[in-house]
Amino acid sequence: MKRQLKVKSLKLKIFILLCSPFTVHRLLFTVVLLLTLNSLLLTLSYGKIYIDITSPALRKLPVSLTFSGSKEAEVIAGIVKNDLDFTGIFYPLEPGVKGAEITVDINLNVSDNLLTANVSVVDLIENREILRKKYEAGESIIRTLSHSISNNIYKVITGQDGVFRTRIAYLTDTSGKKELHLMDFDGSSDQKIVVKGLTFSHNWSPNGEYLAYSSERDTEWNIYIINLKNYNETVLFSSKGLNLVGGFSPDDTIAFSSSKDNSPEIYVMNADGSGSKKLTKSLGIDVSPVFSPDGSKIAFVSDRGGSPQIYIMNADGSSVRRLTFEGNYNTSPVWSPDGKEIAHVGRKNMNNQIFVIKLSTLEISQLTEKGNNESPSFSPDGMFIAFDSDRDGTKGVWIMRAGGTGERKLTLNGVKAMSPKWSPYLK
Amino acid sequence: MQWEQNIKKFFVFLLMLTVIGCAKKYEVKPAEEPKASEAKPSEDKKERLKEVSEEKILQKPAEIQREITEEELSGKGQKAKESAAQQAKEGFVFKDIHFDFDKYDIKEDARPALDSAAAWLKNNKGVKIIIEGHCDERGTNEYNLALGEKRANAARDYLTTSGIASEKIKTISYGEEKPLCAEQTEDCFQRNRRANFAAGK
Repeated sequence: MKRQLKVKSLKLKIFILLCSPFTVHRLLFTVVLLLTLNSLLLTLSYGKIYIDITSPALRKLPVSLTFSGSKEAEVIAGIVKNDLDFTGIFYPLEPGVKGAEITVDINLNVSDNLLTANVSVVDLIENREILRKKYEAGESIIRTLSHSISNNIYKVITGQDGVFRTRIAYLTDTSGKKELHLMDFDGSSDQKIVVKGLTFSHNWSPNGEYLAYSSERDTEWNIYIINLKNYNETVLFSSKGLNLVGGFSPDDTIAFSSSKDNSPEIYVMNADGSGSKKLTKSLGIDVSPVFSPDGSKIAFVSDRGGSPQIYIMNADGSSVRRLTFEGNYNTSPVWSPDGKEIAHVGRKNMNNQIFVIKLSTLEISQLTEKGNNESPSFSPDGMFIAFDSDRDGTKGVWIMRAGGTGERKLTLNGVKAMSPKWSPYLK
Repeated sequence: MQWEQNIKKFFVFLLMLTVIGCAKKYEVKPAEEPKASEAKPSEDKKERLKEVSEEKILQKPAEIQREITEEELSGKGQKAKESAAQQAKEGFVFKDIHFDFDKYDIKEDARPALDSAAAWLKNNKGVKIIIEGHCDERGTNEYNLALGEKRANAARDYLTTSGIASEKIKTISYGEEKPLCAEQTEDCFQRNRRANFAAGK
């Protein structure tokens, strides 16, 4: 996908704080890793799918992990085990426990700050190796290396791409300021991206290279976009009133809401901020537009019926229909990656909870119960949902499986964190 | 000169302080008909202003810095100083106005505050204001930003309908980001569902 961003250069200074002093090394070694991933794949994979993750009666697959070689092998094995465990489809066995159907062996050598990992996955039932792969990576990206190993194991066993290299963009609230952060899907490698102004409603570009967001600076709410490779920030859209960016379409059209003509309405524009076009016209609030994964439809929130509800329209603004009728408060819609469901926030007993609607039947399921749970965002494989919750007293970012189980808090307890947006698959 | 400047700054300070307090009611005194008999000795006033200033500085240093511009310290500042002094006598109050849960229509009980604001603005034609719209914490953040915008717009529309030029009024929404209180009580929620007035630029 080509993206040409021709934009007025901003004089505002963006503060970028990188999490580790080894950032340059990390970038270099990411390149090294990518090259090695492409060139050193040796082996071996069968068409057999060991776990059908779409099956409702999923049986967890017992896996044993062994490691050998340099001491960092244990770190890698720990991260891989954690990744596999989180999916809910593996059952990692403790060392020495019998009953494994799959074994993963990780052998590691370290020399000159370079990690060389040899990974072998064996199907014990049929007694054959189903994956053998060699990885090389700089020591500073040991986590990235580990998540890559997890991705390959996941792929050979389920036939699907894993999300272990994806990231989550989210906001922290520190004394009334909202900062945009990035972290790995498991909560590690936290990085501040934008600390200027009051930042909101961030959304990923389809290739994962940009984040668009709205920020309040000097009493103006404008739409910005940041290039995550070089951290250049540019203004995408500015006008008087409230301008809140929504989702991208697969071809990089950006949906947003603007009150430039007085009331918040839904608009679309090109990825460079040009060609904005108004799609709705109502006296009330129209906000939070998101494209369906195929780009043909837009879901949004409107109070045209008297209370905030979710509506769907064609991407050109035609054929508006109301989707939610349950309760008097439904906001924050997101599409599942297969386009078959919409997750959203609904108010129940004066608390906000996460619901999911099947579009074919309009059947609604409630996914959360404790505290207030908001801002759902699907992982790119649709297996997980990130959200924010105040169930333990402080608002934090959590993830759960898309069915509502396996909830796990990602952000630290002392940090007020919210509004996670899960990245697409990252290269 | 330095001394004069300082005095000038003081008065501008007071005006700005009084106009910007987003949390609190603030006193802005109308320009018309100051009553000489009620005027206090200037020394007293100065002392009083000083205290107010220092107290508020402790609370909101960032906003105070933002509000005082070069422009206001020069020609406009003089005007502001005069009105601040005159307004001291009448005790006109820019009050927050409040909204019902999930609503943005102007309630009956908000009209007197808006009518007073409109009257004052008519008599102070050079003054620009910002109306800030806010919500309680129970909604979702993004929808609350839109709701706060509608609340600020509703207050603005009331004033423009009352004859105030729309160019003099800017609106901004802070959604649920700038609450006055944090308790989980209906009383606190009500205080936070508001539009308030601040000095414009």
